[in-house]
Amino acid sequence: MPQNSVLKKTLTALSLTAFVSGLAACGGSNNTADGTSTVTVYTGRHYGIETVFEEFTAETGIEVRFTTGSDPELRERLAAEGANTPADLVMTADAANIALAAEAGLLSPVDSEILTGAIPEALRAADNTWFSLSRRLRVIMTSSERVTTPPTTYAEVGDPQWKGRLCLRPSTHPYTQSLVAGLINTVGADTTRTIVDSWVANDPLYINSDTDILKAIQAGDCDVALANHYYLGRLLGETPNFPVTITWPEQSGVGAHLNVSAAAVTANAPNRAAAVKLLEWLVSKGQKTFSDANNEYPADPTVEPGEIIAGFGTFKSDEASVRELGRRNAEAVTLLSEAKYE
Amino acid sequence: MTTLGLEAVRRPGTVLGWATIIGIVAFVAFPIAVLAWSLVDPSTNVWAELWRTRLPGMIIDTVTLLLAVVLGAVILGTGLAWLVSAHAFRGRRIIGWLLVTPLAIPGYVGGFVWLDTLSSVVGARGVRSLWLCAAVLVLSLYPYVYLFARAAFADQGADTLAAARSLGASPIATFFKVSLPAARPSIAAGAALVAMEVLTDIGTVRLFNVSTIADGVMRVWFGTGDRGAATELAGALTGAALVLIAIERLSRRGVRRSRRAAEATMTPRVLSLPAQTFAIATSVVVLAIAVGVPLVRLVGWSVESVRNNTAVTVAGGVGHHAFNTLLMTALAAVVCIVLGIVLAIMVAHRGRVAHALGRLSTVGYAMPGPVVAVGAVVTLAAIDRRSWLPDGFLLVGSVAGLVFALVVRFFAVGYQGVEASLDRVPPAAVESARVLGAGPLRTSLSVELPAARFGILAAAALLSVDIIKELPITLLLRPFGVDTLSVWVWQATSESLWAQAAVPSLIMVAVGMVAVGALLVALERGAEVIS
Repeated sequence: MPQNSVLKKTLTALSLTAFVSGLAACGGSNNTADGTSTVTVYTGRHYGIETVFEEFTAETGIEVRFTTGSDPELRERLAAEGANTPADLVMTADAANIALAAEAGLLSPVDSEILTGAIPEALRAADNTWFSLSRRLRVIMTSSERVTTPPTTYAEVGDPQWKGRLCLRPSTHPYTQSLVAGLINTVGADTTRTIVDSWVANDPLYINSDTDILKAIQAGDCDVALANHYYLGRLLGETPNFPVTITWPEQSGVGAHLNVSAAAVTANAPNRAAAVKLLEWLVSKGQKTFSDANNEYPADPTVEPGEIIAGFGTFKSDEASVRELGRRNAEAVTLLSEAKYE
Repeated sequence: MTTLGLEAVRRPGTVLGWATIIGIVAFVAFPIAVLAWSLVDPSTNVWAELWRTRLPGMIIDTVTLLLAVVLGAVILGTGLAWLVSAHAFRGRRIIGWLLVTPLAIPGYVGGFVWLDTLSSVVGARGVRSLWLCAAVLVLSLYPYVYLFARAAFADQGADTLAAARSLGASPIATFFKVSLPAARPSIAAGAALVAMEVLTDIGTVRLFNVSTIADGVMRVWFGTGDRGAATELAGALTGAALVLIAIERLSRRGVRRSRRAAEATMTPRVLSLPAQTFAIATSVVVLAIAVGVPLVRLVGWSVESVRNNTAVTVAGGVGHHAFNTLLMTALAAVVCIVLGIVLAIMVAHRGRVAHALGRLSTVGYAMPGPVVAVGAVVTLAAIDRRSWLPDGFLLVGSVAGLVFALVVRFFAVGYQGVEASLDRVPPAAVESARVLGAGPLRTSLSVELPAARFGILAAAALLSVDIIKELPITLLLRPFGVDTLSVWVWQATSESLWAQAAVPSLIMVAVGMVAVGALLVALERGAEVIS
């Protein structure tokens, strides 16, 4: 059957063509020929980063190309790529994820006086594999209209008077996990469990968005909530009279739960020099723009915070836990599950 | 070769054929197999903990949601299909088309629209319910059942129905006793698609705080960093999905075209004026809820964000995102369809083992998107490390890598669509070709494929609707500077900036509508070709 064999070949060729044409479609390969002029960033933080990168490029001539995504998925990608990774710099929206990347050997230490001079010791890895860029606080938010004496500690959020009036973020979110990891680090697992149990006993309304949590307070769906401070900053920027009051928790104790957005040079950075340059720029000239873009407090304590959040006043925060958040994360997730926190 | 005996069907010299089957199946199932490797060494402690804590709740939520959505979609989809197929009323044709359009609205877009809209009505607490989540999913998924049911009803012979009527059966009795049983396999096929979408959904369930197993996979994986445990959970999910596929297959068994080639298709019953009004009103209400409200809200938000100048992202404008969505969709759809055709033809005459292998290729569709994304990254990166490709070319972060991962995820939609349309080619045509001496392959190419072309086009369109909406794979694997509409939507919705998500959502819906349009044209023409 000569004709049949021709047809068979055609079909096989067809299946090969499908594969090869898929390959050929990648005309725009990403390898930069000129290794010195482009720095590649994987970032789990994507709110307002473009401005910072543009300023960096304008000043140094180094182009920044970046891809956004969720922190853990980008970490999986970085791990899978190994020595082939195009990523020079990794940025995360939370301390746990950068610490987990460091633990997985995906990052490399940077020895730089600019970095160690700007960033306090507690806000960088002990071996300088990662550095905080900005600070974000998980604070107590209450209705300005309906709550006269807000809770002042995380434990008080579990006070029965807030039953049915509490809004929390689900435990799928890193912010909740890190908060609980921080509590475990400061008061131990048993006390943390008691605190989380008391929150759950208050029948909280779980909302998977800090912005929507604050809007829920405004709408009267809850009176008390835990949220990151900058979401209120953002809403106040749009609506100056937004009816939510911020309370700094644990001010007579270890201070408010502190998380950071952080960055690190990857272990296999193709353009390490440019990555270090960008990192140094982010903690120096870029500090203010970077932090202000998202209403966060600069990691460098000598840099002034933006106007809106400066209005939140001074506060004490739990710096000592920042490095431990990654290590405690799995424990926190288990504790949250056992407490039936949604 | 003029005999049609067993020898003819199981011809020797098919090493190449088997190699092709195995090659394609390995190609699309490998990334899943890579992850499944962890099943060899189960992590019992995580399972024990899961059993103690979240797993029972996850199973209950998943099963409840699945039953609610599938039941809702079957009732709504079949009911509307019967209304449009079996009755004549004003605007029937256009309504018949419009009822497919909710397919273009991704569940997560409908989800945030309804979440925001209903929050002001039932409160932020009331809106986060499994039942509302199910309702949103029913509204975006019922068209799958509707499409399959319409095709089945269109295929039912006029004589059969007339016989039932002449025996004194009322229209309702005819529906329940004749049409519905005959259409059952098609409805089951649609329901299977709906079930898959529900089992693997993450975006919509998270909006409504529904803790399904797919959500649990992400929770375990990214919360504890335990990829092994997450994969095992995903494996359990896939197992459940495969059981559903098997049930669907079994319900199809033995059912063939009931209508003889020469028999006319059913004639719609002309409705009285009040009945017409009722039919039109029902359709309009469904459309208003499923499409009208989301569109109105999206347009409103778009206007707001354009006014506030927040509609444009830095990574290029609307054109850039729309172009990339179209390009990725086209590439992935073409690869899926071409490979699907090859596989379907190769499998067609090769018995049970080949069919089972064919089934294996659909496993990606039973996995949550992020699982496929990471499986693909691990696979592609392993190839990259071996430097098999010239010039230091890397698959991860390339267009080829992204297209590959999309194919792994959605191959099932293309393959099953192709297979189904090849199934529908009248056996007489195939037999004639074979009697006239054409071999099975030649028959496939010159008889079956041309006859099934509109069915294949419909599969391509259905596939495109899915790829346009896809997020997790695109997010993780897109090349630098290649952003799609779904990525743009994600960037806004992950910060709860609904208004900013409106413009890209609206364009995504528009692009999806084009694909739905292609689907409808294909189905209309297909129906003509078949009848």
